[in-house]
Amino acid sequence: MGLTWRPDRAYLTGLAVAGTRKPVSTRAMHTLPLAQRDDLGNGYYVLWFDSPAPVAASAGQFTMVRSAEWGVAPLLPRPMSLLSGGSRPSMLIKVVGEGTRRMAEDPMGQPYNLLAPLGHAWTPLPEGHRPVLVAGGVGVAPLVYLAEELSAAPDALAPISLYGGRTTRDLPLAERLEACGELAVTTEDGSRGRAGRVTLLLDELLAKAAGSGDKLAVYTCGPHGMMRAVAERAEAAGVWCRASLEAPMGCGYGVCLGCPVAKRDGSYFYTCVDGPCVDAKQVDWTKEVF
Amino acid sequence: MTDAVDMRVSIGALELKNPVLTASGTFGYGLEYDDFFDVAVLGGICTKGLSLEPRHGNAPARITETSGGMLNAIGLANVGVEAFCTDKLPKLRERGVTVVPNIFATSVEDFVSLAERLDGEEGVAALELNVSCPNVDHGGLEFGCDPVAAARVTAAVRAATRLPVWVKMSPEAGDLAGVARACESEGADALTAINTIRGLAIDIHSHRGKIANRTGGLSGPALKPIALRMVWELSRAVKIPIIGIGGVSTWQDAVEYLLAGASAVQVGTASFVDPRAAKHILDGLASYCSQRGTTPEQLTGAMI
Ligand SMILES: Cc1cc2nc3c(=O)[nH]c(=O)nc-3n(C[C@H](O)[C@H](O)[C@H](O)COP(=O)(O)OP(=O)(O)OC[C@H]3O[C@@H](n4cnc5c(N)ncnc54)[C@H](O)[C@@H]3O)c2cc1C
Ligand SMILES: Cc1cc2nc3c(=O)[nH]c(=O)nc-3n(C[C@H](O)[C@H](O)[C@H](O)COP(=O)(O)O)c2cc1C
Ligand code: FES
Repeated sequence: MGLTWRPDRAYLTGLAVAGTRKPVSTRAMHTLPLAQRDDLGNGYYVLWFDSPAPVAASAGQFTMVRSAEWGVAPLLPRPMSLLSGGSRPSMLIKVVGEGTRRMAEDPMGQPYNLLAPLGHAWTPLPEGHRPVLVAGGVGVAPLVYLAEELSAAPDALAPISLYGGRTTRDLPLAERLEACGELAVTTEDGSRGRAGRVTLLLDELLAKAAGSGDKLAVYTCGPHGMMRAVAERAEAAGVWCRASLEAPMGCGYGVCLGCPVAKRDGSYFYTCVDGPCVDAKQVDWTKEVF
Repeated sequence: MTDAVDMRVSIGALELKNPVLTASGTFGYGLEYDDFFDVAVLGGICTKGLSLEPRHGNAPARITETSGGMLNAIGLANVGVEAFCTDKLPKLRERGVTVVPNIFATSVEDFVSLAERLDGEEGVAALELNVSCPNVDHGGLEFGCDPVAAARVTAAVRAATRLPVWVKMSPEAGDLAGVARACESEGADALTAINTIRGLAIDIHSHRGKIANRTGGLSGPALKPIALRMVWELSRAVKIPIIGIGGVSTWQDAVEYLLAGASAVQVGTASFVDPRAAKHILDGLASYCSQRGTTPEQLTGAMI
């Protein structure tokens, strides 16, 4: 495998990254012109906005976004993970329907409304743990943001990223993960990296860590089924694991109650306010979301 | 000057600061807006439907978008009336918010218990009876579609509280005017109209309903022409004030509702699109009134 994980590296111990979860910041509606759009191929785009009032976000937080010029259809804003915040907020989108199609086609300069930052960011890396980021397709966005936050932190431990996509064209922003640490990829058709699912790499990594006694902290975002598989493996190995949940969303700020994800205790997470980043052990992964 | 306009409206004996309220289930408990605007400037807020006991609500998916609207089947997830009174209401009171709890029950007795519980609380402006929820197995629509049942609930709640009683109309009542008159004659102080209309959306890939409950209530701009027509008909059927609901997204929509005969409006789904929607609608309505030298009360029923 392309993974060169060496548990004996000095930087594997004694690191606590403070500041990956900044104090709760004020949510606000930012009306911003679409400033730049990078076409990453295969329906993936990165949208950039210029924000005079910085969006005080942390990795894992999201935004509810729609153009101010869409009229009444598509009606509801779309939840999108933030790929960056500050004065240059950005997001990675995958075209799957009408809203994302417009995001891919609207002209530069068109005003967009971004309600941001929303939800809980990723929990800070527990002390002495090595971050392992497990991404599936477009779920990579909040993990790229996290990887970049971790590498900007003074004593940061470089993350190991495990990234799975259907084909080599479904691994957007892989190079940004690679720039922050180690990267190993899988594709279902074998067109890049190992053939198969990303959990293959995770299994190997967990086995190594069990042997060496190293402590891992897993962060995952991707399709429900993938996150379920990741969460189950982490739990079986007794490894700390956080997941960024997905659910249909009406409002993004806790009033419509449209975004439940089942918890093991029989109640629900409301993804927009209790998540999207949650302790994977608390999720009832057997229940459907859509 | 917009602040020169007298925006106050009377809903029976109750005077509201202005005719822009927020609709139940679309504005949480009114405490989620601190980052966005001061909710106390509104005419009032209707809370998420409260039941005697807390409810978890339906399994997901609960919502899906449709053309110019959305379907929801939340299943009346709520914190329960007790938690509302202890955790939410004191904060709303402190902030000077005009609070209208929306209450829901599956029996007349439970409606009465809810009314009695809230009657004892300070800072409640009126009660809104949800006899028109389309998304629960029992209770909702049965009361709202049948004049006799609607009258029974209204009379019982009326006797149990000194608070103004608003009854929320279901658009699915075959005889809407009949239900409305029955509620009026049993002492309802106002009617709010309308609740959502049941709709359906199917995923053509999986062949499953797009929401787990299959049917869900349609809300948003798509609902507006139907709701506006019903408000107009209701205003001719009864003498008590009507509060118009259904797709109010802009101040122009609010003006239309007033012209159709509403004394006030509630903003629903529009708050999902922009949490400041109700405030924007209020500001727009105030400047429209100012420019035309009129007031919301004068606009009510002024359609020619
Ligand atoms: C917290 C959060 C973060 C997200 N981050 C990203 C991101 O960084 N990049 C990205 O491309 N997408 C992200 N999504 C998913 C994104 O919101 C949906 O893909 C988008 O709403 C689809 O809109 P549409 O109008 O193009 O498609 P629609 O026509 O609305 O739907 C097309 C298809 O997308 C599915 N879909 C609709 N809403 C959602 C949803 N909320 N989540 C997942 N699938 C959905 C539908 O079931 C349908 O199959 C995120 C979702 C959540 C909840
Ligand atoms: C997600 C959602 C939840 C709702 N919950 C309630 C509720 O608990 N009680 C109630 O009386 N109406 C409820 N409604 C109906 C609204 O109060 C309103 O009547 C309806 O949405 C039409 O207005 P709109 O088109 O402006 O949204 C709900 C509507 C939505 C969209
Ligand atoms: S999206 Fe509305 S409550 Fe979560």
